[in-house]
Amino acid sequence: MKNGRFFVALVLLAALPLCLFAQGKVTLELLIHQNAPLVDYINAFNEKFQKQYPDITVDVSVVKSDELATSTQTRLTANDVDIIDMFGFAQGIQPYMKNADKPNWQTLIEAGLLMDLTGQPFLKYYDPAAIRDAGSFNGKVYEVNTGRYAFTGVFYNKDLFAKYGVKVPTTWGQLVAACDTFKKNGIAPMTAGGKDGWPVLVAGYGILLAEYPDQAALVKGLWNGTIKWNDARSLDMWKKMQVLARDMIEPGASGISFDAAPGRFASGAAAMYPAGSWDAPAIETANPKMNYGYFPMPGSDKAADNKYLAGKYDVGWIVAAKTEKKDAAMKWLAFFSKPENYQAYVNATGIMPTQPTAKLNTVLGREVAPHLANFRLGYELLWVNPKGFGQWAQPNASFFKPFNQWDDARKLADQAQADLDAGLNANR
Amino acid sequence: MRHAFHFGGRGSRFVPYLLLLPGMLLYLLISLGPSLATVFYSFTDASGLIGSPTKFVGLSNYREFLFLGQNARDNAEVLVRTLEFSVLVTVIQTGLGLFVAALLNQRLAATNVFRTVFFMPVILGVTIVGLTWTLFLYPLGGPAQKVLALLGGHSEFLGGPPFQAFLWVTWVQIWANMGVTMIIFLGGLQTIPSELVEASRIDGASGWQSFRHITYPLLTPSLNTNLTLAIIGSLQAWQLLLVMKGVTNGTQVLGLIIYAIAFGRTVQNPTAVAMRQGYGAAASVVLFVLVLIIGMTAQFLMRRRERRVLG
Repeated sequence: MKNGRFFVALVLLAALPLCLFAQGKVTLELLIHQNAPLVDYINAFNEKFQKQYPDITVDVSVVKSDELATSTQTRLTANDVDIIDMFGFAQGIQPYMKNADKPNWQTLIEAGLLMDLTGQPFLKYYDPAAIRDAGSFNGKVYEVNTGRYAFTGVFYNKDLFAKYGVKVPTTWGQLVAACDTFKKNGIAPMTAGGKDGWPVLVAGYGILLAEYPDQAALVKGLWNGTIKWNDARSLDMWKKMQVLARDMIEPGASGISFDAAPGRFASGAAAMYPAGSWDAPAIETANPKMNYGYFPMPGSDKAADNKYLAGKYDVGWIVAAKTEKKDAAMKWLAFFSKPENYQAYVNATGIMPTQPTAKLNTVLGREVAPHLANFRLGYELLWVNPKGFGQWAQPNASFFKPFNQWDDARKLADQAQADLDAGLNANR
Repeated sequence: MRHAFHFGGRGSRFVPYLLLLPGMLLYLLISLGPSLATVFYSFTDASGLIGSPTKFVGLSNYREFLFLGQNARDNAEVLVRTLEFSVLVTVIQTGLGLFVAALLNQRLAATNVFRTVFFMPVILGVTIVGLTWTLFLYPLGGPAQKVLALLGGHSEFLGGPPFQAFLWVTWVQIWANMGVTMIIFLGGLQTIPSELVEASRIDGASGWQSFRHITYPLLTPSLNTNLTLAIIGSLQAWQLLLVMKGVTNGTQVLGLIIYAIAFGRTVQNPTAVAMRQGYGAAASVVLFVLVLIIGMTAQFLMRRRERRVLG
């Protein structure tokens, strides 16, 4: 009798997938990168979507942001994913770039792995410039970009600033003085997610921007040799990056992961947190009462040079060309793009919207608004590596101690230029 | 009339080959076949993306990896670091494994408990080992930092200078694999007749003399096995470095940069690059040649010693 019941249960379990198939149920596979507010929003959004479309289930996979590109390529190759979050198309090869590798999104398009979304009805909700700049190739649309983030700003704790009488710094000298004040009072001036490496790289981008506000010209100049990593301007940049890594970011930051850094800042352990604006919702979640602001990293000694914010087109949706669930994928994108849902997404993630009707009505939105007119694409979105170039030819604050081996800005500057020259000369 | 394939029958000489055939086919399918395919792809610009056009590029991947610009010099630095890693892991892991095995070969209470504890890291897996040690070495209050703080010190541990982080990962690699070395040596120790050691003691030999002149030579087969496993394993190891450090300047080994190149993660561009599996295949072949040369040389020297010692 017991065996009979067990057998019946087994048969029923085996038949379950058939039942689901018979009812036309579809499971959409979605891949996104680790960003706590994004993950939380997508999970909540999918519940709403699944109520609207009960025959569609959405299964979400989350990977670390520096593993997203690898996961994207492997899963598209395996054809086991339908919709993927991809950062806005960047690092396009310019005419003056010789023997450079194509960006990964271009190789995916040329391999026929990304679906052409040109003409889809939901595109009408988005700013055509964003669709063109961040998601198109050769006149066709392959990505629906959902917004921009700034990454050359600094979050600051307004209460700590008020307590110690520190004003928002608008020059490098004022920033150094502010850090000294906090240190004297036992407060870490800055924190960062040093364990993952790239957060310290990003923290230094504001210094790069202040030195070279025209980032596109910087990239061209480096390629054609008119700008060098060891000329006077660049050396000034390297010296400031060293101060940032060695003196401003708290000791032990090399053990803090990117995920944990917003919480550490929100706890009041550090007065400032140089990071991308994507961390704003995470800060608010960690400490809803946090009184914070965001100012451009004052990498220059002249206040007029420090008015810019650089950033990137961030989360965008691409669809696997070989998906068998195209209809379900289009429904998901259309539902996401509906203005009321998109506004909720903007509110949850703090992303600067690419739908003209949406507004960033948040603390961060108000802090960033004065600088939006001076927003520009950051260096890393424009730079393409020449083949043969060496490992130090990047403007990366994490090359300095305590995060890596360099403690001499001049020597690193010379090495950076030598590493870049090796690549440029190898391709001439 | 049907032929009977029974023991001693006329067709029975084919039976061993037939029995070996499935295993051989499996080996060709999942091991030799992909290895040969890797060599083939090393002469192409294959990205690894299905649908992406692939063309034959001759030796250009090898030229780029070994000779092109500073990238080639960085790769040479990685090669040296791989050798350093291998030497440190092999020497320390083998020595430590032998020491622990010798201790556990005594008549001690709860020997089995100690053997289990020392072997436990082997079964934990790379991810758990790496994450556990990362937490242990957390510079803002992990256990290691707390102990150091009692002595008035501070260290960034894995986040510090690359060579410091490299040594920590080397130590964890040894810690994670020493159990296997110990078990192999323990097996070898237990095959040595105790009468030989007792006789030497009766003749007045000290413990060290007994070990040096009797136990150690008779451990040669176990030693050779452990050295071979440690050399080949450490030359190819990269997973722990990925878990504990990621793809960062100054700590990569050859296996790690092969993974980074093939799957679109490089130090030069931490955000996103296209996969380059043809180029990664060329780097794999370089690693294979390195392992082959070092492995075969080590094998030759060890066999020669074995013949000399054991006759």
